[in-house]
Amino acid sequence: MQEVHVMGQYSQLAVGDIYTFLEACGVTLLVTLVSLVLGTLLGTALGLVRCSKNKIISSLPLIIMEPLRNSPLVVQLFLVYYGLPMVFGILLDAYPAAILTLSLNTAAFFAVLVHNSITAIPVSQWEAGYALGHGKASTFVNVIFRQALRLLIPQAITLYINQLQCSSMISLISLRDICRIGQLVSVRTMQPFLVWGIVFALYYVISFPLARLASYLEKRVNFSY
Amino acid sequence: MAMIEVKNITKSYGDHTVLKDFSVDFDQSGVTVILGPSGTGKSTLLRCINGLEKTNSGDILVDGLSVNDKKNLKQIRMTCGMVFQHTVIFPHLNVMENLIMSPMKILKTPKGEAIDKARYYLKKVGLESKEKSMHNELSGGEQQRIAIARALMMNPKALLLDEITSALDPEMTREVQNVLESLAADGVCMLCVTHEMSFARDVASRILFLDGGSIVCDAPKDEFFGKIRQENDRINKFLSFIGE
Repeated sequence: MQEVHVMGQYSQLAVGDIYTFLEACGVTLLVTLVSLVLGTLLGTALGLVRCSKNKIISSLPLIIMEPLRNSPLVVQLFLVYYGLPMVFGILLDAYPAAILTLSLNTAAFFAVLVHNSITAIPVSQWEAGYALGHGKASTFVNVIFRQALRLLIPQAITLYINQLQCSSMISLISLRDICRIGQLVSVRTMQPFLVWGIVFALYYVISFPLARLASYLEKRVNFSY
Repeated sequence: MAMIEVKNITKSYGDHTVLKDFSVDFDQSGVTVILGPSGTGKSTLLRCINGLEKTNSGDILVDGLSVNDKKNLKQIRMTCGMVFQHTVIFPHLNVMENLIMSPMKILKTPKGEAIDKARYYLKKVGLESKEKSMHNELSGGEQQRIAIARALMMNPKALLLDEITSALDPEMTREVQNVLESLAADGVCMLCVTHEMSFARDVASRILFLDGGSIVCDAPKDEFFGKIRQENDRINKFLSFIGE
């Protein structure tokens, strides 16, 4: 009797939940995509500065990159969402806080990829460009950048997939992303295996094509010197 | 006035001085072969002429332009095309793109004209059938011949060739040498660092022998391999050591 009474408090998974999950996919994709675009732009700038021959200038991005790469995303998220209002009086809504945090985090890792991809190109490629009369900028654009891009793209996609999955952290600041809806529906229906299975499947459906694209590009761009 | 005037240059890497108060002139004619043991500054000299290495002191004038002035480097590098020891074909471009990219970007040569010119030079180096090939479809010798053709696309007055056959097997070395001999016959001016004595004997007009960062001998080829070799123990020893 008692068991029947307890089960009675929970509702079954309903058709309406499908729409809720689809809306949650929209939240996850919106926050992730905006963050990846901003993070890629900032990360590219930081990565290029890291390539400077001037040691002081090339070290400057590390001030931003190192703390972000060496602390958990969730801590960064709480610092921005809960910490900024307390210390600086900057009160951010959940969306901007999530986007700011994910963007900065993406930028820190993307900058490393940019720096590594550029420095992986042999010095002889720069010299060959110079010897043909190209200046530094022209050698970079016509010789180095296009080779570096081929190294960068597969790694960048892997980072993007990782950041998509890390975006589940935004559920902790009450944004109704896939993970947050998973928590709510799971508690309401008391069917954790089914609900988290759906969450798992949704992330998989979004990530899998990207993972395949990364491995396809990795094979396509593989060249030796 | 000589086309290339090297004036009292010194080049050091840390405590190691590679070129000491080094001076030499090169005219815009003939083939000068630069010989000498490893580490005597042969490649460094070519790299300094091309502005790829900064000298510690002294100056190099190419067509009257100083390599010490950064603004001149583009012109100097177009005047002196350079081909390196290790092949540096741009791997993201096919052969034709490798050849036409720089003339189109720097000399603003129209694409059609650049392609015609590239086909001419590909024929010259015997690789007219390879214009669509990527670098990994080419042998080492073919890549070096492409690198020579690519340098020629910029209409240089001289070619600086830095041990371009040292990483090749004898057959590929012969292929490259045939191209150089053909260019020499066409009157292309070349400064060539090499250990290929057959090339020096067949093609060179002038031999520069370096040791310890200085010129030991600067003489016409016949004199170098004749009288000078007999009289100079250092040169005789070097030539004997490399089997000449």
